[in-house]
Amino acid sequence: MKQKKAKKYGMVIDLDKCTGCGSCMVACMAENNVPFRKDESNKVLSITWMRVYKLTNGKPFPNTDICYLPRPCMHCEGQHEGHSPCVSVCPAIATDYSSETGVVSQIYTRCFGCRYCMASCPYHARYFNWWDPVWPDGMEKYLSPNVSPRMRGVVEKCSFCFHRYQLAKEKAFMEGRRELKEDEYQTACTQACPAGAITFGDLNNPNHAVHRMVKPDPKHHGRPTHPNAFRLLERLGTNPKVYYISSRDWVRRAGDNYLEHEAELKQTVHHG
Amino acid sequence: MDSALIPKGVKRCPFPQFILFIAIVGAVLLWGVYAMLLCWFKGLNQTNMNDFYGFALWIWADLAVIAVGGGAFFTGLLRYIFGKDELKNIINYAVLIGFICYSSALLILAIDIGQPLRGWFIFWHANVHSMLTEVAFCLSCYFGVLTIEYIPLILENRQINKVPFFHHLGHNMHEIMAVFAATGAFLSFFHQGSLGGVAGVLYGRPFAYREGLFIWPWTFFLFTWSAAACGPCFTILITKITETVTRKKLVKDNAIELLAKISGWMILTYSIAKTADTWHWATVTVPSLGQTLMDFYSNNPFYGIWILILEIAICGFIPAFILITQKGRKNSAALWIAVFLAVTGVCINRWVMVLQIMAIPVLTFENWVMYLPSWQEVATTILPVAYGVILVAFSYRYLPVFPNEPELNPIETLPPEKEKAVEPSVELEKELKPAEA
Amino acid sequence: MKIGRRSFLSFLMGGAAGTALSPLPWKLMDDSAIWTQMWPWTPVPEDGEASYVNSSCTLCPGGCGITVRKINDRAVKIEGMKGHPVNNGGLCILGLSGLQLLYGPTRVKTPLKRVGKRGQGRWEKISWKDAVSEIAETLGDLREKGQSHTVGLISGSDRGTVPRLFERFLTVYGSPNFIRTPSIIDSYELTLHLMQGVQALPGFDFENANFILSFGSGILDGWGSPVRMFKANSVWRDTGAKVIQIEPRLSNTAAKSDKWIPINPGTEAALALGIAHVIISESLYDYNFINNYSSGFDDWKRFVLDNYGPDSVATITGIDDRTIIVLARSFARASKPLAICGRGQGITPGSLDECAAVHALNALVGNVNKHGGICAVTEPDYINWPEAEMDAKASAGMQKDRLDDAGSKKFPFSRYLLNRIPEAINSEKKYPLNTLFVAGDNPLYTMSDSKAVKKAFDKIPFVISFSSYMDETAQNADLILPNHVYLERYEDIPTPAGMPRPVIGLSRPVVKPQYNTQHTGDVIIRLAKALGETLSDAFAWDSYDACLKETLGYKWRVMVEKGFWSYPGFVAQPREESFDTVSGKFEFVRKGTGSLKPFKPVKIEGDKTNYPLILMPYDSLRLANGVIGDPPFVMKSVDDTVLKGTDVFIEINPKTAGEQGLREGQLAMLSTPVGKAKVKVHLFDGIMPGIVALPRGLGHTAYDEYLAGKGINFNELIGPVDDPVSGLDAAWGIRVKLAKA
Repeated sequence: MKQKKAKKYGMVIDLDKCTGCGSCMVACMAENNVPFRKDESNKVLSITWMRVYKLTNGKPFPNTDICYLPRPCMHCEGQHEGHSPCVSVCPAIATDYSSETGVVSQIYTRCFGCRYCMASCPYHARYFNWWDPVWPDGMEKYLSPNVSPRMRGVVEKCSFCFHRYQLAKEKAFMEGRRELKEDEYQTACTQACPAGAITFGDLNNPNHAVHRMVKPDPKHHGRPTHPNAFRLLERLGTNPKVYYISSRDWVRRAGDNYLEHEAELKQTVHHG
Repeated sequence: MDSALIPKGVKRCPFPQFILFIAIVGAVLLWGVYAMLLCWFKGLNQTNMNDFYGFALWIWADLAVIAVGGGAFFTGLLRYIFGKDELKNIINYAVLIGFICYSSALLILAIDIGQPLRGWFIFWHANVHSMLTEVAFCLSCYFGVLTIEYIPLILENRQINKVPFFHHLGHNMHEIMAVFAATGAFLSFFHQGSLGGVAGVLYGRPFAYREGLFIWPWTFFLFTWSAAACGPCFTILITKITETVTRKKLVKDNAIELLAKISGWMILTYSIAKTADTWHWATVTVPSLGQTLMDFYSNNPFYGIWILILEIAICGFIPAFILITQKGRKNSAALWIAVFLAVTGVCINRWVMVLQIMAIPVLTFENWVMYLPSWQEVATTILPVAYGVILVAFSYRYLPVFPNEPELNPIETLPPEKEKAVEPSVELEKELKPAEA
Repeated sequence: MKIGRRSFLSFLMGGAAGTALSPLPWKLMDDSAIWTQMWPWTPVPEDGEASYVNSSCTLCPGGCGITVRKINDRAVKIEGMKGHPVNNGGLCILGLSGLQLLYGPTRVKTPLKRVGKRGQGRWEKISWKDAVSEIAETLGDLREKGQSHTVGLISGSDRGTVPRLFERFLTVYGSPNFIRTPSIIDSYELTLHLMQGVQALPGFDFENANFILSFGSGILDGWGSPVRMFKANSVWRDTGAKVIQIEPRLSNTAAKSDKWIPINPGTEAALALGIAHVIISESLYDYNFINNYSSGFDDWKRFVLDNYGPDSVATITGIDDRTIIVLARSFARASKPLAICGRGQGITPGSLDECAAVHALNALVGNVNKHGGICAVTEPDYINWPEAEMDAKASAGMQKDRLDDAGSKKFPFSRYLLNRIPEAINSEKKYPLNTLFVAGDNPLYTMSDSKAVKKAFDKIPFVISFSSYMDETAQNADLILPNHVYLERYEDIPTPAGMPRPVIGLSRPVVKPQYNTQHTGDVIIRLAKALGETLSDAFAWDSYDACLKETLGYKWRVMVEKGFWSYPGFVAQPREESFDTVSGKFEFVRKGTGSLKPFKPVKIEGDKTNYPLILMPYDSLRLANGVIGDPPFVMKSVDDTVLKGTDVFIEINPKTAGEQGLREGQLAMLSTPVGKAKVKVHLFDGIMPGIVALPRGLGHTAYDEYLAGKGINFNELIGPVDDPVSGLDAAWGIRVKLAKA
């Protein structure tokens, strides 16, 4: 039997539509049993799988501009499949790259908390459970059985709501189908976004909206060919599966580091 | 009181004084143990680490003690493989220092991980592609080697040595020490290198990332090299400190000078290699990622270009030039300065390769993040130092760590209460022989 | 037997070797791994059958449809309802956190009676029966003494069955003091009343408009029905519609707009009239509408042309005349332009002149009651209860003046003026308030000039809160009668703010009541029955649910199934019939309101010498600032440039900060004529020099540890400024002094 082409689930976030309302952050927390503490204002200690950054163009009044940028895990593919910055360094295979879906998983019960993956991730998408997760009395009632709450001392991060993929697969299987429809597997943030700024789907499938929106270039590790699309830190060669769209030049430029004289979106080939 | 345990032919301070010293250092140790227990039972929230600083003081301490503990493998390599016989007088101490460094490193790692009870997953579920796996395996194996190297020294304790089994065990272990030295050198090459690799493979962090040879980034080789270069300096430094504290000459100058000379050349070549690496990285790697060298040394309250100059020029080339010249080696003050600078240099390098990496933002819309360790982190980092001091104190008091000591410090007048314990000098020499073997 | 050293050592070594070779260490290692995965203090959520319940969110007036995912009898996730006319699948940050309110620590778990001093937090449990009879006794006494009018009620809404039951109760009981929480809707209602002669809500056909001129409305910051506005914005991005945002601060709305025009705060009305000037003088207005459907245009035209030339407006607003002219032309030339007002989320009603001036722009371009325009939406009259019979006591009470002067000679057009209540009570000029019910509002937090509000509350002998949560008002009440949370009760949700078509949502129980709470509707019915006489006749229903079912009639079954009732066939009235004014046309000149007097900006409190800067609030979806406070998840989303620890940041232009000698992150003392607060400084280029902005929604003293004690409540720093015509609160800011702390 011929092997079905593997999926490569990815996300496209339209920054022109994103209003910075924060729904994606909370939808994610609610979906994934993310804990919270009394003071969450120290952002380097606050677990936010999906974090919305506020970018400014740095110009003085009245030429100031701001843009919000939601940042889930990029589910990097690396220069060859599975060579994500984090997956390649984990000493205990507690984070893994699924060649079936392209999702970078985190196995909480395998992780022993060395935090090497956090050091390797330039997006700061990985979070450590510095504390035991504690829910106020009674609040543990809303915890979803589909995602296990994490114990103290392990790393966690966005999973592209992988449990939803599993549930959808199960359902499809029960109905005698092998393939999922585009809308059957959607992440919680995609679903919740009131502005419809997040699109999720299979980047390998030309019929999926994500593919049509950014037109990934297979010759360059899926680099977007749409002029307004970009990926964060494209030049590092992390090969993320999260794409952004912005009509504003300064926003696209903020997506990567450039030397002063360089034009943005230069067609550089990664050094590796 | 404990005179029966003290090696023959050497003088040790009175027991109460020794106990007082141990008590003071022991108090520091207990403070560290308390902090350690806090970290274990309450979790890593006791530290000031955070999601931007996944690696911090402890990982630096780990890398630093392993680097300076590199004196053990390199001295062993020189002594047993390259047959530098003069080094027999310092090899015991080098091994002891190495043992302390490596056991400390393992202890710190056991505190550092979020789930200490699952620490063995690194062996059980090993990811062979991870530099950290390589580190864990080589580090544990080499710690085993160091233990084997240290055991014969323990067996030379006057009382233990009286047991024929231990006497012969010790003797036989000495016989095969070259095999262990070779194994140790081989393992050290890899784990020192993999520790460098830990940073060098981080291709998501331009400050850390280095190209390299096959699967090994240049930092792999630079770390091994710098450990080999600066480790002996640490051995010399600790020996010098011990000599100062005990107010005795313990190791003959020829051993020190030979080690210093070799170290000097190693540091020089290392500094040249490091300069070349930095140059290539700054002019080729970094610009290709859209950044400039100064991006990593500006816009923050601490990390300026000074740290690079301090590391390579002041703590690299200067000690190298002192140590490669005979005049420099022979001048006590210059030697002190040189070994101190070299050790500082390698520690700065490890700091930069751990903490500065974490401090630097990669996303254009993030900022530098500074970090100050919590007292629990400081205490647990001082803990191994206190432990090391205690182990050195005990070893020095009860084991013939310095074979030259009786020769360099002949006992002129014996204290009356010790008279009985003194044996003929012929026997004394015999007693010391295994250590020389 | 003597154990020698050697045998002892052998024993030790043998033992060690034996243990190492036995399965014991391996078993222990395995156990340790398993144990660390199942620490008893890390919860393991129980699995079970998944199901979904459709309902409506009531946390704001947005009226979104929600689908709640359940596992057995636990609600585990709230999601937006697909296909709902308001939100179609999306949901806002607060709505998504609803379960933290349902299961959260701030719930009032049983009726409580105060035992300590007010606000001391000492309570005793009381049975529902005792609570109701205690209130009935007090109310009965007051009614006997002819004091029925001294009973007041603050309600979050005046629409839907529960507020209507309250209104009905007060009517048959005999008190005119039903007071609704104010918002920009008040100004819009008044504007529609005065200019179009209708009693209706404003409806905006945003989805079909293609040029939105927003006078500071936080389209993307929670104005109107937030999720609907986000969706509309995305439609505009796709269709190329233009959004112009006029406000002194670069809000999220301004940042997402096509053009942000900073304006001197408080001068928006002048700008609207300036734009009108250009449109009129360049004859860009809709001739058909002006000639056939409007009245008073000539007078108004003269007034505008005489006073609001672009150059003089430029001086007032700080926007250069060229920009004004270009703006006016593009507005008038757009095929479907729409002008809106209401600063931020529209929490303060604002100046009536301003609202009318903005509405006049819509009339000028003829987009009133039109596709892509603004229309007056009359609430579908689904609540048709039999007329309640009032006895003599009730009539006597109802004939008394309202305590807030709404509808009086002074403010003849206004319906509710909550902002005037504290002053009315504190000045003791009229009559005291002897009993106050609070439902669906948290006035001790949400009303401006917190000190005066607190003082007024202290003068009310009997305060009853219906809050489900221990909020500031509940904390200072004498009796708390906790309502079911919206996920535990049935209730109709009237048309969301700003919707151009009526939609009635249904909130329904997703889980059974978690605590000993009761539906407020039931409590009203029980109370009426306890009071007897005409009251029990007027509340003949067995229960609230029975009342609701009867009220909704045939709609009930559809609503239970779908979660809402929409009126797909609804069309805005044709223009010929839509103006119920004397002239039967759109009135440019509002009768009896002095609307042709030259524009005078609303004067905010404080003098320039002592208070050189201006403090303005800003609204954010991540900071719930109404009756509901931020649940923990939402607090978690607040940026560290807004709140750090317990310190709130003010936003200030770097230039202004420099003049005051303030740096980023520095502590500063903020003083206004009303109050003082310690804040931290955040330099923000996107704010006009001379202005300081502080977020609403922080500074709670009640709720849980996740929210309380963090930041400053903006209302502590500002007091109301009565609009001369409407009497509504027109304060948009207050003068302030900023000094290093």
